[in-house]
Amino acid sequence: MSGYDLKLVQTFKYQRPAIDKGYAHQTLYVDLSSLEIAAKPVTPTMKDVFIGGKGFDLWLLWNAVNPTTRWNDPENAVCIACGPLGGTPAYPGSGKSIAATLSPLTGTVIDSNVGGYFGPYLKFSGFDAVEIQGKSEREVIVYVDGIDQTVQVFAATGLPEDAYQLSDVLTGHFAQGKPRNISVVSAGPGAKNTFFGCLNFSWYDPKRQRARYKQAGRGGVGTVFADKGLKALVARWDAGISVETNQPADRERLKKVAKLHSKEIVELDPKQNEMARIGTTHIVTIMNDHDLLPTHNFRFGSHREAPNLGQAVFRKLFDPGYDGCWMGCTVACSHGVRDFTPLTGPYRGRKVFVDGPEYETIAGCGSLLGIFDPHTVIELNFYCDAYGLDTISVGTSTAFAMECFELGLITTAHTGGLQLYFGNRAAALDIVHQMARGESFGRLVGQGVRRMKSIFAEEFGADPRILDDIGMESKGLEFSEYVTKESLAQQGGYGLALKGPQHDEAWLIFLDMVHNLMPTFEKKAEALHWFPMFRTWFSLCGLCKLPWNDIVPEDNKSTAEPAKVMKHVQWYAAYFSSVTGRESAPDDLIRMSEAVYNFQRIFNLRMGLGRREHDTLPYRAVGPVTDLEYESRAERYDKQLTDTHRVDITGKGTAEKVALLRTFREQQYETLKNAVYQRRGWTADGIPTLSTVKRLGIDFPEVVALLKANGVTA
Amino acid sequence: MIRVAGREHPWRTGMTVADLLRETEDAHDCPVVRVNDHYISRPNYETTPIPDEADVFFITMIAGG
Ligand code: SF4
Repeated sequence: MSGYDLKLVQTFKYQRPAIDKGYAHQTLYVDLSSLEIAAKPVTPTMKDVFIGGKGFDLWLLWNAVNPTTRWNDPENAVCIACGPLGGTPAYPGSGKSIAATLSPLTGTVIDSNVGGYFGPYLKFSGFDAVEIQGKSEREVIVYVDGIDQTVQVFAATGLPEDAYQLSDVLTGHFAQGKPRNISVVSAGPGAKNTFFGCLNFSWYDPKRQRARYKQAGRGGVGTVFADKGLKALVARWDAGISVETNQPADRERLKKVAKLHSKEIVELDPKQNEMARIGTTHIVTIMNDHDLLPTHNFRFGSHREAPNLGQAVFRKLFDPGYDGCWMGCTVACSHGVRDFTPLTGPYRGRKVFVDGPEYETIAGCGSLLGIFDPHTVIELNFYCDAYGLDTISVGTSTAFAMECFELGLITTAHTGGLQLYFGNRAAALDIVHQMARGESFGRLVGQGVRRMKSIFAEEFGADPRILDDIGMESKGLEFSEYVTKESLAQQGGYGLALKGPQHDEAWLIFLDMVHNLMPTFEKKAEALHWFPMFRTWFSLCGLCKLPWNDIVPEDNKSTAEPAKVMKHVQWYAAYFSSVTGRESAPDDLIRMSEAVYNFQRIFNLRMGLGRREHDTLPYRAVGPVTDLEYESRAERYDKQLTDTHRVDITGKGTAEKVALLRTFREQQYETLKNAVYQRRGWTADGIPTLSTVKRLGIDFPEVVALLKANGVTA
Repeated sequence: MIRVAGREHPWRTGMTVADLLRETEDAHDCPVVRVNDHYISRPNYETTPIPDEADVFFITMIAGG
């Protein structure tokens, strides 16, 4: 690629600090409006209370914005952090970056945990996090060169638009002959023209000799990035990283525990879910068999054609070889498809390498749209990444538009002639290309489900009640891809999630529905306390959660709490202690997360969310909205009405039974909220109490004042 | 003969996943059983035959995304 120009407009020289027990002890600040660049110290409170990763992001963001800041205001910041354990090559899953910003979809904090090499390279270059504020009128590249101890800003012209080509060009430009030393973060044209732009984080695959990608997908972090005029963020560091690079407090202990976990994965993964061979694709048919795979905008949980999208197919399609998105990860689940030829769009007829698909993309861009053709799913995956679009929000928003079309709530007059029925593969691809160009109906779909609901009701005259029932968003974020109708715990997992319905906070659906491990409200509430806290901890430390519970010890099933995989939790406590020197037991990890989790809840409150009224769900997530849905599983629903709720259904029509079931289920969800709020130490309105924030050490004056302003004084 | 988690186990014609689970002490409450390259979920145990020479693994936990 030629014809591009990078003009240096700012340089910041710094002295790289020695990494000490997993920390660089400073963060990088870049203001794109003024081109100010600075290093900020990491305070003891930041380390003690916020640990790192997402915790640092939240603290930087809290101090950057105010309660009236909107996503596209210059003071909104894009923060990306590693964590104290991030960058350890020996321990599986230790290379994550955590990106956070105020979301264009929700108006409050969104965070995404993503692979690729950027976070560790940033830290080893001397910064535990980067905070980017301001806006540039021209497109710029921010380049952090840890080897030369320089941060530079370049005005960029003539660079490719799509993330695939852009990362390739920038990797070549900055690599100085060593492409593995480079990680690029970039968005894409779709990120500019929608509200759910993602960020692509690259890592160089030496065997395939190409840049590979993982996505910080949720909530539009890519949209904020693009709105700032930021074309890409690049880090350069020497890829010769070892366990010593983090300067751990106790390297022998670290090596020992890392070896235990790594070895166990190598030994057991082939006997369990084969993540190293098929990634998360095994989940597709399992979800389908348990009526949990979303099809047709979450109407149903299974479809006879779902095996076309299952692991048996992707086993053949994935390019064999090592696929770790961080060095030495033995789970190595980040697979891709080699020599794929798109049938549409700018890459039509050209062979490309596609990173993915993973389960969420298969479900969101496949079954949810009534599409059961793997080629189309791979093509949608490819273009979403290249354009910088979140595959989950693309899928869930397109599915909503498709159902509205099928119900006659919108017509070809609104869709620009697109026959947007379920299963229309060409239309789904058209929508994605339109999103990237910011044109036609795709531009509208790219605003997300919440805004579509308003537009369809206010401008197209659609009934807002049905739109609210079938529009799969909560807090403004589109649902990720699980059918929750039969799992009250997972309804809580989605409805009570801080950033909106994303499963990374609590994935309880199987434990609840299939294992029946939480039959009471109290047990569900306990699970909705422990699991979100432990899952949060991974993002504080720069870790991936998959090695925790996707491969489990052989004796796990006979332990007291198999769902928690306590042997691994113990290992994680030892891992944390050995790197940071802060001796910690499993309960301490939960306590660390609790502080950050509650702080994020209070951040939501500050931004106008974060109360009971915001923890709501569309009824489709709770039960059958339409007669069709009820009748498709009539035996199940009739039995619940008669056996569980003691209703005599004799002579009752479907519509009446739908309404009755709705009353019971909505009551149950409210009861669950009460139990969870109580367990978490929150008021009945869902706000952390003063004694909770004191116990957790987050009773900063601003926090206490905010609670007081919201009527919380005890 | 089949192999269950690496150990040999007698096979018979028509043997289903459900039959195997009934014969195996430590099968517990597993929601998914892997038979060679196929992942069989509990709702399909009764109807899924196990071929001779199969490699079978009990998947005790599905952890999601
Ligand atoms: S488990 Fe998969 S996603 Fe997680 S770090 Fe390893 S390769 Fe990346």
